[in-house]
Amino acid sequence: MESASIAVSDPQGAAAGDKGLKTGALGWVSNLVIGVASTAPGYSLAATLGFVVAVGGMGFHAPAVMIVAFIPMLLIAAAYYYMNRADPDCGTSFTWVTRAMGPRLGWLTGWTIVVADVVVMAALAYIAGVYTFLLFGLNDAAANLLDVSIVAAIWIIVMTAICYIGIELSARTQYFLLGAEIAALGLFAAVALAKVYFGDPGGFHVQADWFNPFTLHGGSTALIDGVLLGVFIYWGWDSGVCVNEESKDSANGPGRAAVLSTILLVLIYVVVATAAQAYAGTTFLKHHGDDVLSALGGPVLGSPLDKLLIIAVLTSASASTQTTILPTARTTLSMARFGSIPKIFGRIHPRYLTPDVSTLVMGAVSLVWTLLIINVSQNVLSDSITGIGFQIAFYYGLTGFACVVYYRKEIFKSLKNFIMVGVAPFLGGAMLTFIFVKAFLDYKTTSTDVNYSGGFLGVGTPVAIGVGSLLLGVVVLVFANIAYPKFFKRKWETAPPGILEGTVKGEASVMSD
Amino acid sequence: MSEIVIGYDGSDSSKSALNQAFDFARALGDSLVVVFAYAPGGYGGGEVPEQRRAVEEFGEKVTKEAVDAAKAAKVNCKVEMINEHPHDALITIGDKHDARMIVVGSHGDNPIKGAIIGATPYKLVQLSDRPVLVVRA
Repeated sequence: MESASIAVSDPQGAAAGDKGLKTGALGWVSNLVIGVASTAPGYSLAATLGFVVAVGGMGFHAPAVMIVAFIPMLLIAAAYYYMNRADPDCGTSFTWVTRAMGPRLGWLTGWTIVVADVVVMAALAYIAGVYTFLLFGLNDAAANLLDVSIVAAIWIIVMTAICYIGIELSARTQYFLLGAEIAALGLFAAVALAKVYFGDPGGFHVQADWFNPFTLHGGSTALIDGVLLGVFIYWGWDSGVCVNEESKDSANGPGRAAVLSTILLVLIYVVVATAAQAYAGTTFLKHHGDDVLSALGGPVLGSPLDKLLIIAVLTSASASTQTTILPTARTTLSMARFGSIPKIFGRIHPRYLTPDVSTLVMGAVSLVWTLLIINVSQNVLSDSITGIGFQIAFYYGLTGFACVVYYRKEIFKSLKNFIMVGVAPFLGGAMLTFIFVKAFLDYKTTSTDVNYSGGFLGVGTPVAIGVGSLLLGVVVLVFANIAYPKFFKRKWETAPPGILEGTVKGEASVMSD
Repeated sequence: MSEIVIGYDGSDSSKSALNQAFDFARALGDSLVVVFAYAPGGYGGGEVPEQRRAVEEFGEKVTKEAVDAAKAAKVNCKVEMINEHPHDALITIGDKHDARMIVVGSHGDNPIKGAIIGATPYKLVQLSDRPVLVVRA
């Protein structure tokens, strides 16, 4: 019996230790990791760096664009931080905008999130398809539209299945994947810069001017067009804000994670963009717009280390696909439970406890869109990334304004309030609005000087996708208004006093009926 | 007089486990703690709280069936809904009630999912320092 009691005490100790580790792993650092992983730096760079460089009159100013695009995102991060603090349990943009600015803008926010996520799935799946073939050195297949379409379709189906079953990566797996991704990008940047200064004569030495947004040849037009794409690369960090449940300090942790994740992201983007153009120059990057990191990986890192970069892009794209399907399914679940779209989207799978109908519909719509857009033309795919910039600017901007409106009675109570829930989110919203309008004027032409494809219904394809989807949303909204009168009678809400001072804790209010 | 913790998700296999738990509870004079556990829907953002609420509503519906069955079987029971992965949840609740044992069905998880991320009964058997009864469906 004595030996039995010794044998028993060991597993007990192990179990206690395991538990301690778990609570430690789920703090704000975990939110930071999820925020950065959801933004998918490797994939975002692979998908957009070439396009940013290719903006007319951009020259070597891509790093400056990365910095400028970061500013509205940081300001909107303040909005996320304080909206989350008001009510750590109330959801995200759809719920916030609905509460602060009424059901119509809230509904349109939900619509925009869903549409942007569907549109981005095509770009994600396309990159995943191309890089999967490149990983195995199948360069011909990577250039074959049919082959890429097949892998892209498989990619979407597998990712949808994973979300449907509800398999979630553990925090530790994510640490590892993100660590590997950042390490691969860091290695690439370091080697590229080292070669520019100590090896290959073809490179360009880094100049302070690259980081100056005021000296673009293309002036403010090039800057704004670049920033619209830049907004895309920072998109997704809001995921970190929303992981409330596991965090011990749920009122402060996720918001801090959102702010820190944007800072980490800007560093990654500026450093990698600088290294890429220093090594290869802008012409090379323009020519490899849709596979920029794999094209650079070979010459910079050599074989087989260049595969690391491809793997980093693939893991990044997988994280991004998951953080595209999941939140979208949850947004439609939430909209259904609010009674603003058909109830069936609010269904929960009895075994997997996932929003199964929402997930499957999201997967199916994404699949159709992806196969359509890839096969229409790669130029349309390129333009759709610009189009997503409009959608992101729209709903992030609204979230910024929602924060100001929600806290309007608190803004003048202290200087800190005035700046953090007044000026910062308002400026963020105003900047995104300005970017939206300016980019609209620049991109509305069908000229292929600024667009990749020839336009659609008389307007440029980015505007057709980005702004057209919003107009379509307004049309659907009119019908939703008739079908769901109860939701659209919701009243605006304001923040209860005391939340910002911490004397009143934000309480969860159940929005569904 | 002690308590028996039973993991219940409304699946056929958890129903078998519940019936088995009724037999034990009657024979031992124990009461039941019906646990509905749901993994934290954390990763990936979006409207996480709404999903959690939807899952909780589902859990309330499912556990009500168990409570009604317990009444019919004349066994005392209470319900615990807990936002943790099932194996963690059952261990936590087992400790909280200093339970005599933990009862689960053998096929609570889909076999494919079980193979990928590990099934609840398997994890429970490894991690629990209380006796675990796995009931075959």
